[in-house]
Amino acid sequence: MKRVAICTVVALLVGVMASVGFAAPLKIGITKIVEHPALDAVQQGVIDSLTAAGYVEGEDVEYIIASAQGDMSVAASIAQDFLARDVDLVVAIATPTAQAAVEVFRGTDTPIIYAAVTDPVGAELVPSATDPSGNENVTGVSDMIPVAAHLKLLLTLSPEIEKVGLVYNPGEANSAILTEMALAAAPDAGVEVVTATADSTANVPLAAQSLIGRVDAYYVTTDNTVVSAIDAVLAASEEAKVPFLMADPTSLASATLTAGFDYYEHGLTTGEIVLSVLSGTLPNEIPVTFQPKAEVQLNLDAAGRIGFEFPLSVIEDAAAILYGGVVFERAAD
Amino acid sequence: MASLLIHALEQGLAYGIAALGVFLTYRVLNFPDLTVDGSFVTGAAIASLLLVNRGVDPFTVLLVAFVAGCLAGVVTGLLNTRLGITNLLAGVLTMIMLWSINLRIMGRPNLSLLRVDTATRIVDALWTPLGGLAILVFIALLTLAVKFFLDAFLRTELGFALRATGDSEAMITAQGVDTKRMKVLGLALSNGLVALSGALVAQYSGFADVGMGIGMIVTGLAAVIIGGTLIRSRRVGWMTASVLVGSLIYRVAISLALRYGYVIGFQASDLKLITSILVVLALVVPRIREQRMRKVSAC
Repeated sequence: MKRVAICTVVALLVGVMASVGFAAPLKIGITKIVEHPALDAVQQGVIDSLTAAGYVEGEDVEYIIASAQGDMSVAASIAQDFLARDVDLVVAIATPTAQAAVEVFRGTDTPIIYAAVTDPVGAELVPSATDPSGNENVTGVSDMIPVAAHLKLLLTLSPEIEKVGLVYNPGEANSAILTEMALAAAPDAGVEVVTATADSTANVPLAAQSLIGRVDAYYVTTDNTVVSAIDAVLAASEEAKVPFLMADPTSLASATLTAGFDYYEHGLTTGEIVLSVLSGTLPNEIPVTFQPKAEVQLNLDAAGRIGFEFPLSVIEDAAAILYGGVVFERAAD
Repeated sequence: MASLLIHALEQGLAYGIAALGVFLTYRVLNFPDLTVDGSFVTGAAIASLLLVNRGVDPFTVLLVAFVAGCLAGVVTGLLNTRLGITNLLAGVLTMIMLWSINLRIMGRPNLSLLRVDTATRIVDALWTPLGGLAILVFIALLTLAVKFFLDAFLRTELGFALRATGDSEAMITAQGVDTKRMKVLGLALSNGLVALSGALVAQYSGFADVGMGIGMIVTGLAAVIIGGTLIRSRRVGWMTASVLVGSLIYRVAISLALRYGYVIGFQASDLKLITSILVVLALVVPRIREQRMRKVSAC
């Protein structure tokens, strides 16, 4: 009798533990268009943000990570795979993957959170940047760069900067949009933007070199193609003895100065949106999140190599400085 | 599992039309044509532009895309036949030209179709009795229609002349056929099919992107070779069927790799490796079978 009772209690306990342990973990599908330090950093930011909020990988949440490896058709297959696996939420990193996800999950109410999309309205992921009511199941974070502010920053470096050289790949949607913005903002900022195109990483050095002697500064946005060959642009700018502004702070050593935001931080911001949606806020209540104000970081070593001196005001405002190979960060006030 | 299969079939058939185009040049005409990486996007670009800016109906844009592809094929054909540029180079040159032209057509590198009524969306909404199979049925009907037209064409006198041009140029010239014209015709038809496929895939995926044609020649060749290895026949109907089968197998391989690759410990970045291994298996297994049969008959 006692044995039966004990067995029943044990069985019940095991059953309870099993049901708790086997409670289906949340399935989050993360899809990106290609493996790339910036996009990988976004992914890590999202995962870390969720882990910090108490979602333990393997227990509370299961991540299904897929990369389209540059192939658009695979982006569609990945989205379809997520749909078949009945994921609870999709994090889509970069424009083509986000578009594929929105198309595949149309009509469902699985939330799609996009990240690293420069122009979500232009890509038609959401109808409006400010009014989220038409979002349906889509919202996310944009990595739109304040291009006008960057051009004005160049002017504060030296009033002699008149022509700014911009190397970009016209085949990259995000890059093309930013370049258009730069060209539009140039007259207002008081500079002239001269572009040089590179349709692949191999052509970046040539494009950068074509600007030597024609420009007073170099500028590169978050263009995947050019960023992959960034040292070639730095080399050209040093040959021309002009400063080089990069919109990606992770490459401070490859530029004279950078102004931008960290893609890992971008991932953390995306993670916050995911948490918000997971705790009940609907995507059509969350407008597009744009990255907060960008920070300026200076590479004094590179500046020294071309004999360029930063004005004191710029140094005082900088968030970090690279000197003697070491990065010094401003202490938070 | 079922929806995985359905999606793989949808993509396999949609890309199968492009594979038929590659079959036409690579196998029938014996002309390795790299234009397809560009003409695929041209179809997608023109279709998207007309859908978004001009509100043209999504089924007509497929026809327009076909014509645009034909023009691209004509360019390659003329480069080869009139200017004497070798076939590979002619295709590459046109492909490079198309990169700029496609950007011009779209006006931007990526054109979204998410807010427009595409053919697949209309079909999905109208053919409700078919439920989740509506899009698959539509694509299947379209692909089979293309296949039958192609089969019928290859059996006409003109079609035979085309096939003979690929088989033995010297012989057919002696019969009075203008092989130059045949090549241009074949390239035009082939790239027309590839562009049609591009227009269909753009509507299916919800966007047109200037990079979506990269690797199309590889996808097409994979389909042609896989299909040709599995179904050996010199009869037109079977040859085109084998191309479609090859395309389906390739896409199923990708879907399986995506879904179950992690079981073998593969990471997200190993997708292309896994897909290639699956394709190698698909090619090797019939060959082993053949060798075994030969050994038996050699006794």
